[in-house]
Amino acid sequence: MSTATADVTPGAAPGNEAAAQATPSLARRTLRVFTGNKLALTGVVVLLLLLAFSYLGPLLHPTEQVHTDLSQANLAPGGSGHLLGTTDLGYDMVGRLMVAGQTSLEIGLAAGLLATLFGTVYGAVAGYFGGWVDAAMMRITDAALAIPAMFLLVVVAAIITPSKGVLIVIIASVAWLSPARLVRGEALSLRDREYVQAMRMMGGGGARAVFKHIVPNAIGTVIVNCTFQIADAILYVSYLAFLGLSIPPPSADWGSMLSAGITYTQNGYWWLIFPPGIAIVLVVAAFNFIGDGLRDAFEVRLRK
Amino acid sequence: MTGFLVKRFLQALVVLFLVSVIVFTLLHLLPGGPARAILGPKGTPQQIEHFNHQQGYDRSLPEQYLMYLKRLFTGDLGESFKLNSPVFDLLKQRLPKTLLLTVLSTALAVIIAVPLGLLQAVRRGKASDYALTGLAFLLYATPVFFLGLIMIILFAQVLPILPAEAPQGESVGELLGDFTGLVLPVVTMAFGIVAMFSRYMRSAVLDNLTEEYVRTAMAKGQSSRRIMVRHVLRNALIPLATLLGLYLPTLFSGALVVESMFNYPGMGLLFWNAAQGSDFPVLLGVTLVVGVATVVGSLLTDILYAVLDPRIRSVA
Amino acid sequence: MTEPLLRIEDLRVDIASRERTVHALDGISLELAPGEALGIVGESGCGKTMTALSVLGLLPPGGAVTGGRVMFDGRDLAAAPAPVLQDVRGNSIGMVFQDPLTSLNPTMTVGAQVAEPLVLHRPELSRKEAWTRAEEMLRLVGMPQPAERMKAYPHQLSGGMRQRVAIAMALVCEPKLLIADEPTTALDVTTQHQILELIDGLRERLGMAMILVTHDLGVIANRVDRVAVMYAGKVAEESDVRGLFARPRHRYTEALFASLPERAADSGSALHTIPGLPPNLAARPTGCRFAPRCTFATDECRTREPRLADDDVRGGEHRFACFHPVPDDASEAEVVVPPAVPAPRAPGDVLVALDSLVKEFPLKGGAFSRRRGTVSAVGGVSLEIRRGETFGMVGESGCGKTTLGRIVAGLEEPTAGVVRFEGHDPARMSRAERRAHRRRVQLMFQDSTAAMDPRMRVGEILREPLVIQGVGSRADQEKLIAELLDAVGLPRGAVRRYPHEFSGGQRQRLGLARALTLSPDLVVADEPVSALDVSVQAQILNLMRELQRERGLTYLFISHDLAVVRHLADTVGVMYLGKLVESGPAEQVYAQPLHPYTRGLLDTVNLPDPRAAEGLDRTPLEGETPSAAKPPSGCRFRTRCPMAQEVCATTEPPVSTPNSAGHQVACHFPLSAPRLASAV
Repeated sequence: MSTATADVTPGAAPGNEAAAQATPSLARRTLRVFTGNKLALTGVVVLLLLLAFSYLGPLLHPTEQVHTDLSQANLAPGGSGHLLGTTDLGYDMVGRLMVAGQTSLEIGLAAGLLATLFGTVYGAVAGYFGGWVDAAMMRITDAALAIPAMFLLVVVAAIITPSKGVLIVIIASVAWLSPARLVRGEALSLRDREYVQAMRMMGGGGARAVFKHIVPNAIGTVIVNCTFQIADAILYVSYLAFLGLSIPPPSADWGSMLSAGITYTQNGYWWLIFPPGIAIVLVVAAFNFIGDGLRDAFEVRLRK
Repeated sequence: MTGFLVKRFLQALVVLFLVSVIVFTLLHLLPGGPARAILGPKGTPQQIEHFNHQQGYDRSLPEQYLMYLKRLFTGDLGESFKLNSPVFDLLKQRLPKTLLLTVLSTALAVIIAVPLGLLQAVRRGKASDYALTGLAFLLYATPVFFLGLIMIILFAQVLPILPAEAPQGESVGELLGDFTGLVLPVVTMAFGIVAMFSRYMRSAVLDNLTEEYVRTAMAKGQSSRRIMVRHVLRNALIPLATLLGLYLPTLFSGALVVESMFNYPGMGLLFWNAAQGSDFPVLLGVTLVVGVATVVGSLLTDILYAVLDPRIRSVA
Repeated sequence: MTEPLLRIEDLRVDIASRERTVHALDGISLELAPGEALGIVGESGCGKTMTALSVLGLLPPGGAVTGGRVMFDGRDLAAAPAPVLQDVRGNSIGMVFQDPLTSLNPTMTVGAQVAEPLVLHRPELSRKEAWTRAEEMLRLVGMPQPAERMKAYPHQLSGGMRQRVAIAMALVCEPKLLIADEPTTALDVTTQHQILELIDGLRERLGMAMILVTHDLGVIANRVDRVAVMYAGKVAEESDVRGLFARPRHRYTEALFASLPERAADSGSALHTIPGLPPNLAARPTGCRFAPRCTFATDECRTREPRLADDDVRGGEHRFACFHPVPDDASEAEVVVPPAVPAPRAPGDVLVALDSLVKEFPLKGGAFSRRRGTVSAVGGVSLEIRRGETFGMVGESGCGKTTLGRIVAGLEEPTAGVVRFEGHDPARMSRAERRAHRRRVQLMFQDSTAAMDPRMRVGEILREPLVIQGVGSRADQEKLIAELLDAVGLPRGAVRRYPHEFSGGQRQRLGLARALTLSPDLVVADEPVSALDVSVQAQILNLMRELQRERGLTYLFISHDLAVVRHLADTVGVMYLGKLVESGPAEQVYAQPLHPYTRGLLDTVNLPDPRAAEGLDRTPLEGETPSAAKPPSGCRFRTRCPMAQEVCATTEPPVSTPNSAGHQVACHFPLSAPRLASAV
């Protein structure tokens, strides 16, 4: 089907002067495709805005977020100088969202990165060695995957009192499975690529195969998956909060704010529910858009 | 096919064994160990020591594991110290209800997602495709309980046409009898998975459309509609069976949240209540059963896939 | 000429992608009489497939007819609405595609797929009648046990059988025209022959016309009445087949024929090549599109576009678009004689010796399933390769030639037997010795794209062997690479580019350069030119030969292409189902094959000359190669051998040398009559 376009690479004929010019690096071309993707760019913008809101916001809009003031509880937005009203404990809602955003983003990023790191190493080892090692390691991930993450998280969180560090570790402890499987598949297929065989022909060893060929070619997949992992980790934080397992106050994350708001569904305190809910949706969607855009960008590069 | 099935079955057995090891490990990770888990927070140190000796918890770990397995095979999953009832009986009562919720919402999700994904693939690159893709991502990014909350606010408060609470009843039949009560939990859970399935359908249809057999079908003189239905849809739907198997854990996780949200009397709610009250026999019992259900379920979907796809069906 | 069945008038097709628009067809005019067979031939990218696809409106995404008409049965198919096209497709025009595996629906039974056109176009037939007709059609295309095969799925059939199904599907409505797009390119020589014979027979029986699209001049020479040669989206020359092959007029056709290894004066001379690449069709080139690569081009060729005009002697029978055509009275061999190459060195001592080499692969059937078996890829092969020679290994797919090459290259461990390099067995070397030994044997892959890390620039790819082996300083390495690029005819600036930016031929040059960085003694080349067009293939073959002479290289050249091996090899080995059935000096094996398989293979090849085939008493091979998981007892060829006796089934044939010492054959009844010399 591609007969019409084969062998017409412009300027690639032997002796052609154009051939002497270096072509733009892969990274630059990947970036170009990525920036051409509107959804992905939207994701980047939304993420930057949320980061600025959470970290720069408190500087512009300083509020009391440690001591409760029940006299100011559940104030409606608009009046009383609170743009989005106040929480059931009397915290300013906007300021609360900023503080909670820091926690959600930090746990999400840290857990996503940790899961990716561990999963990648695990999957690469299984895929590279193959055979029985691979079979044994993959049955372990199968078993861990068979127990739905939420159930495992609840049991673990019921045993250990949550703190930021604990949440990061337990979320990572269920999230590493998907990158592990993915990287293992990549390693298995890359291991048999002809360019790895060609390298063996020259006398190259396993270390070179892994670090010069397998890792650089798998890195795109890993980066893409990492953005999805971060998104999922932020969702996990919110689910744990909903199930009653979050860092105790005065700390807060978007999930725990949303869960706290659910109690007041009947009272019509919408400002306790929608702002944190929308914040979660926005940040998770942003990471997904970015991941999707990155995947396209990496694919285009290898396809061309 | 028998070769494939035998291999797959043995794999499932190994995974089941490992699942039991994981749950066993969790039991021993509990503060105070199994004794504390089973006697509850009220057990005195003397009681615990006596219990440990009596139940063999002072023996070596492999021995204890064998005892644990033995008890599992006799259906002994321990006893809830909150509900004063054997965990096995509780699960026997609750599991079918959770399965009902899962099956109904999965079916609904597939019914919505398949035409949606097909539509996106056909309209690829057009505004409607972008809009639906964006929507699917937003849906995926919405925590199920937030989605449920929006549903409740919309359909039980703003427009009070549906009950915000799931039907209560002893049996699956009773639940089905109160159909309006099922709507919100089922729809909420279905929406949570529609995003994933429609995304899959879109790319599967697009992949199949580039296959050469589609060109052959065109060369025979078929209309695009007929090619879509007779050739593409069929080939895109077969792998959906495996996808269902892969998403079983996600489905059960979703059931946990939805049941807690709507007070649906299934296994998830049982689990959630147990978590609130540190009722460890129930927590571990449910975890084990859900794990087993996932393994068995994905085995079944793999068998289904093998039956549907002639390429696997006839190999060896 | 009677009223044509199909008339393509000034057809223009554009293919738009995100980056650019390619003018794939730029004013194609062709006619086809009822019952006539027209061949469209050309290299990749010339538009031959697009021509075939646009007749049925099956252009790929982004493709659109921008001008011209496709008149069929009084209707313009290029402008016809979908229902009209759907009525024609599969009904009055049937089409067969290249790859029989991917062009069939994997999840539908053969029967349902063959019956489908009847369901669509013969609504008066009941389901049962349609099924019965489909079954008859399968019988007609030579499918054994058609009733059972109707219920089979495509993956359960061999490649040749799948293509028979595709043909049955195209012909079940008895169309007036069959369009076959490279129908045999994915098949082995013997299957290819059977399929072409089948199409010939059916065409005669059903009285239908045919358009046969192919890159293979051998196929076109023997199967069609008329030929259109396409180049860069235009018809360069059109003629009856005999006239074209006897007296090509367009300079491109002439050069194309001259590039064929079959046409080389003898195996000692270089092949004629066409320099450069076809033009980029995104920009419409001015003047003659072949001018930049043509030795006869003048300023006129570069500025004015030649029109397709009638031949001055033969009239409308022969048309071409060239300002400086091959003169009428020129003899065939008028082509510029390529420079002679230095005489080969006298064969040296034995470099590599294979002793009873066996390779078996476990048959995958699940870890615990009982039906475990082994595939015998290489079933005990012994041979010697001498220093400085080219050992050509030929055979059909699945014969074990690639596995053999990989074992020699050290990529696979043999199950039994030994490979010795100058008497040493690498398996017994120490680690360090083995690593150093790697330098002496290098592999050249069929697909250099897959064999080069897509993330590395060419400079890094070429330097990698030197880095691994720790050869020289960085400056030394870069100097060596620059020299190698010169040697393989690529600009030095190539080091800063990525492999995917090069054309197929250029990538094979890179592959050769990389194989040579470590100055190996032996290069194992596995089908290095089979993905290339004829003119580019000739460039690579010449380059390989040139470098061999300069550097004293030894080649193990593995190919399915008998003509290419004949041209390049000094010694030839023929493999069948894991066995080396015959080996010896190339001229002897080709002129007087001793094994019935070799003989059959040579008789099956399509010669790119309509006249050559006529004088020969050819007995092409029949049947299909059995599975290597269950090879026949005794002689593995006996199931297809016309001379098989009882002893062939019970005893493995001994190796004998009835002809001369160097010419070995493994057969109970070696042939004695020489084959006519004019063949391949």
